[in-house]
Amino acid sequence: MNDKTTTVEDAYQDFVRRSLSRISGDLERLIYLASTRDYNTGKYHHDGLAAQFQTDIACQALELAHREIFHRIAARSLEELVAEVEVYINASRQSREEVLEVWQKLEPYRVALPVNVNAAVAQLFVSNVRLALAILRRRQEQEAMEVRAS
Amino acid sequence: MIEFLSLIAGAALVLLLMVVATRGWRASRDLDELPLARGDEEIAEPCPEEFVRRIFSRADWDFVRGVRCAGIERLYERERRRVALVWVRQISAITRRVMRGHAEAARQSKNLEVSMEISILTQYLGLMAVCAILSIAIQVVGPLRLGGLAHFAQGLSQRVAKLQESLQADALAKAAGSRAA
Repeated sequence: MNDKTTTVEDAYQDFVRRSLSRISGDLERLIYLASTRDYNTGKYHHDGLAAQFQTDIACQALELAHREIFHRIAARSLEELVAEVEVYINASRQSREEVLEVWQKLEPYRVALPVNVNAAVAQLFVSNVRLALAILRRRQEQEAMEVRAS
Repeated sequence: MIEFLSLIAGAALVLLLMVVATRGWRASRDLDELPLARGDEEIAEPCPEEFVRRIFSRADWDFVRGVRCAGIERLYERERRRVALVWVRQISAITRRVMRGHAEAARQSKNLEVSMEISILTQYLGLMAVCAILSIAIQVVGPLRLGGLAHFAQGLSQRVAKLQESLQADALAKAAGSRAA
């Protein structure tokens, strides 16, 4: 069903309503949106959206959603970002320690940056996630020490 | 006695310069390792105001201090310094690009206004000086105490960009007028 009259805004609203609203937390939404982007071409693809809208419109709607979520997270305070990363880690199936360790070592969140994003904003996001991970790791170590002490 | 004091002052100055140079070298080494900091000459838009406020805000620092961990405090200082330097580098890159564009247009213009050109040049030199001071100050004291200067630089860069835009619009209007005549 390729309706040529639909706009990027229509596709975006549809995507937000049907897909993004079902994902809890902006960080998980960001990672999900980045995963819809092809590593080689930088083009976005989502089967559900592509079935309803023209390919380029669906691609632009996903790119728009990616940018919006990214800017929303990048503008958060460090305290809010720590809470956001915690929500993401708690929702993942892997153990908390494992996710924290892998995220600190591999920094997979760097792949979540939209293309041509402002360099200072991108650096602020990367730095803040790095700090959020260090803070969560510290809290985890403190909790472990308290358990051992009691 | 005066000679001895001069010697002490000279040694202190050399020490201070060495500290600044070392910090600058370390900061520039950090920046060179960053793929994000490269290619900023291509950035079309300056960093939005809300992000500049966040880079230089105290709120995140207060939160980090609440964690009570010296390692995380050091990490915060290093990271925020790095972000602030990327921003300064971006502001000066955008300003240089605007000035290159203006110089190009001025070379082809037949009716230059000297007072306007002096005003643009003064603003450009002022902004570049503020960027240089900010770069050094960020490396020496960190971005936390420099919010006012950063806000000033952001405002000045926006003024230079707007001035350039209005001059370009004027030039285009004049060119269109002369073609029509």
